[in-house]
Amino acid sequence: MPPSIHPVDLIASLRQKHLTPAIVFLTSRRACDEAMESFDHADIVLPPVRQDAIAAALERVIAQYPSVAEHPLIPTVQRIGVAAHHAGHLPSWKIAIEELMRQGCLDAVFATTTLAAGVDFPARTVVITQSSIRKSRDFTDLTIGEVQQIAGRAGRRGKDQVGFAVVTPSPYIDLGVLTKGFTGHPESIDSQFSISYPMVLNLLKAHPHEQIQAILAKSFAQFQLNQRAELLERKLDGLHVQMEPFGPRVCTDWISQWQTFDQVRRQRPQRHQIRRHESPELSARFHFMTPGRVVGLARGRGIVLRQYRSKGQKNPMISVLRLDGAVTECPASNVGDIFDRIFECDETPAFPWCSAAAFDELSYQLTELPTRLPTLPIMVPKDSEVLPDAIVQSLGDFPCPSCPSRPACQKDFATALRLRQEQHRHTKSIQALRASLWHRFQERVEVLQKFGYLTPSAHLTDEGEWARLIRIDHSLLITEMIRAEAFTGADPSLLTGVMASITHDDDRPGSFPRISPGLSSLLGQVRKLAESLSPYEDPPLLRADVAALAERWIADPTLTWIGLCRLTTMAEGDIYRLLARTLEFLSQIHTLRATHPGLAETASRAIALIRRGVLEELP
Amino acid sequence: MTIDELEQLLVQQPVAVLHRLARGRVHRHFRAGKRRLIEMILQHSSQNLAGLESDVQALIAERQSQPQPPQPPARPAGRAAASPPRRPAHRGGEPESAEAAVSLAVWLEGIGVPAPQPFVPDPWQEEALAALDETDVVVSVPTGSGKTYVAVEAAKRAIAHNQTVIYTSPLKALSNTKYTEFSKIFGPDKVGILTGDRQENGQAPLLIMTTEILRNLLYDAASGEIDIRLDTLGLVILDESQYIADPERGVVWEETIIFCPSQAKLLLLSASIGNPQDIADWLTSIRPTTCRLVRHSKRTVPLRAGYLHPNGKLVPLFKTAAIPSGHAGHLHPEAKRLFFEYEEETLPSGRPRR
Ligand SMILES: Nc1ncnc2c1ncn2[C@@H]1O[C@H](COP(=O)(O)OP(=O)(O)O)[C@@H](O)[C@H]1O
Repeated sequence: MPPSIHPVDLIASLRQKHLTPAIVFLTSRRACDEAMESFDHADIVLPPVRQDAIAAALERVIAQYPSVAEHPLIPTVQRIGVAAHHAGHLPSWKIAIEELMRQGCLDAVFATTTLAAGVDFPARTVVITQSSIRKSRDFTDLTIGEVQQIAGRAGRRGKDQVGFAVVTPSPYIDLGVLTKGFTGHPESIDSQFSISYPMVLNLLKAHPHEQIQAILAKSFAQFQLNQRAELLERKLDGLHVQMEPFGPRVCTDWISQWQTFDQVRRQRPQRHQIRRHESPELSARFHFMTPGRVVGLARGRGIVLRQYRSKGQKNPMISVLRLDGAVTECPASNVGDIFDRIFECDETPAFPWCSAAAFDELSYQLTELPTRLPTLPIMVPKDSEVLPDAIVQSLGDFPCPSCPSRPACQKDFATALRLRQEQHRHTKSIQALRASLWHRFQERVEVLQKFGYLTPSAHLTDEGEWARLIRIDHSLLITEMIRAEAFTGADPSLLTGVMASITHDDDRPGSFPRISPGLSSLLGQVRKLAESLSPYEDPPLLRADVAALAERWIADPTLTWIGLCRLTTMAEGDIYRLLARTLEFLSQIHTLRATHPGLAETASRAIALIRRGVLEELP
Repeated sequence: MTIDELEQLLVQQPVAVLHRLARGRVHRHFRAGKRRLIEMILQHSSQNLAGLESDVQALIAERQSQPQPPQPPARPAGRAAASPPRRPAHRGGEPESAEAAVSLAVWLEGIGVPAPQPFVPDPWQEEALAALDETDVVVSVPTGSGKTYVAVEAAKRAIAHNQTVIYTSPLKALSNTKYTEFSKIFGPDKVGILTGDRQENGQAPLLIMTTEILRNLLYDAASGEIDIRLDTLGLVILDESQYIADPERGVVWEETIIFCPSQAKLLLLSASIGNPQDIADWLTSIRPTTCRLVRHSKRTVPLRAGYLHPNGKLVPLFKTAAIPSGHAGHLHPEAKRLFFEYEEETLPSGRPRR
């Protein structure tokens, strides 16, 4: 059996069952293009009426977007009534295909799942061939929301009584992901708030430093952090009630008192001494690795079943329940993420460290976890709470042995200590949740102060005043380059080349034109600067080949679009996006005309030079 | 339905149904008992009883269309969780599958174009528009329901009051499409588009831009360099606002909402998401008025799922023609068999079946 249905057969099946028009979502652009090519030898020809309808509709699109007229796929589309629509195409071509679909001229469109959100046209049927999509480098399963977004394109209001989502398998498809996607309830969404340098500068431009915390508090991020904090506060209330019987006795803080006494009595070496080599970060994190907590390890996630210290070295250790039902022992230092998700865990003193029912429940919960989980913000205490050894040792005599409260203290100590530790843990988590955005903001402020964009009192310096207008990725690199006068004397093509290499974040190889010596040496300078800034901002790829392509477009105004495309193996849609993004970056530089008139002028000339041919067609 | 009637209706439902209703509405609902659950559901939907009612009705209808007893979720059996879920062979004799799975003919029934009907706005569309007179609105409905109608109507009303309207989309490509679409509806002189380096018709009452451009405008306005008529801004429409969860760009939606002038109404249009109530509650907490959530999860055009085998054989994917909400396991026996066959043949030997 072939690993997946042949595209020609697929379309034939759909036509035969009247399931057209259809959108066929495929894994890659390549798959879409190959699907189109597979029609080359098929003797499918649309009736003349329909061919004419396609021609007429295209005519209207061409009137607005002349570049469509030259598209090599027009004859094929007209002959077979099927087209491809993906990010490798020019926007004008995609608009043409969307228009044809809207007017009902096509039977099917091959599209990539990656851009399901950008596919803004419906059909009677969608065909799904995969259950995962490539996100950055990895394939991840489609979420329920994504499956429904894709399936949602099926069934046009007013044109269809029913819509159809048809799954046809390809290797590595997981049918379970799709059936769950069809039948499930979409996932909750979480804030992805991040604090960038331009955000800090713009906030501080408009508001005094002391008001910023209140502004950050208005974010959805803080709203969700508060929800989590409130949950913990409710738990804390519960703990407070549970702690009532363990209030002050003969000593106010009898729990600490008994703890020290107990330690001395047993003549145990101080635990703290052994822990000394432990980083405060690990100790802080270990605090949260309590039974029921979901943690991320190198290979997948697990739920903590027990927390202990190893016998010899007293290293912090945990027992973890893994996805395959195994219980593994693992040093706490191996834990990557500590997630903000904790399940009830009925602890027991022996393997598997919880009751059978809890074990079943946790195993089940582990399989049901959503792919994305919020991590717990953990603050590392500056000064650890370790008792100085000197004090401990000098507490030789305790009142405890003869104290009337001794039997009660002895009996209650374990419970009271556990409750109190839990209280501390929750209190710390709550503080962390409430303050984490502000901390992140402050970290950014410190960097901007270090670089001289902000004064020590967090006001914008002259540099900060203009730097806040650069509101794009890699803003720190760009403003630092401007300050280093890297662009002094650079012509529009050099500026464009550098900006293009900063915007481009795709590492797919290809062949490109040769770079000019001037641009090459300028890029070398940029690369050095980017490296030196890497503790504060992730460096961009800075590909020289991509820079050279953009440089060519500006340096040679007689170069046609087709001529440019011939210089590289990059898809024309990608070239378009590269130049469009570069345009955006250049227009940000153009906003610096008050402080950097020369540079702004170069940017403005570069913009005018980029905007020609197909780049002129759309606003 | 009054709140009391709704409560009565909820009381009659099995707890499983209540839990499904509670998803996205009530936090940690799985810990609550039935009474408490009902209380919490009602409390959380007090602003949108109509939405709750329609969801309840949809769930009831769905249950009636599948008379099988609800199955407990397939939990891996304790420590044996590592072994692959077994296909229970004994099910053959159970009433559940004695009921015939849907045939292809029935599955395909109704395919085609409906008779033309006069345009009547859906109740949820009316509800969203009415609410927008008073306050911010979050709409969370399935793709293809007709969010654009709400955007267009709302814009018309604001423009009639001499207000400026801003419409944002997450992608430049979508902005361009909407620019063309809205120019046809409103007339070309009424619609403008703003990009990083260009303005077309920047003085028009309805302005289209990406969310990033609006965010930048709001920053400029905050620092005093206004180059847009923010004082006449009456309505900001954020389309595809589920993008707020985008790892790279989501923050831009938050910034835009935080800095959106308080005199302008916000209309957030989103595909179905799990927790639209959270978004509405958030807006309520930072904006001058109580945000109204308009949601429903029922698709306007019913959807059916099928399975097409590489050999060209088409079968329904599920036992029922309609998609059995909440029952991912109710596969059509034919689809199950064919897919099993497919996996056996295509998986390299030794690769564990997922
Ligand atoms: N009340 C209605 N009655 C009939 N058709 C409608 C109604 N509202 C919207 N539509 C149609 O439904 C289709 C989908 O609408 P659209 O706004 O694109 O959906 P989405 O919610 O995905 O944005 C459009 O063709 C629109 O004309």
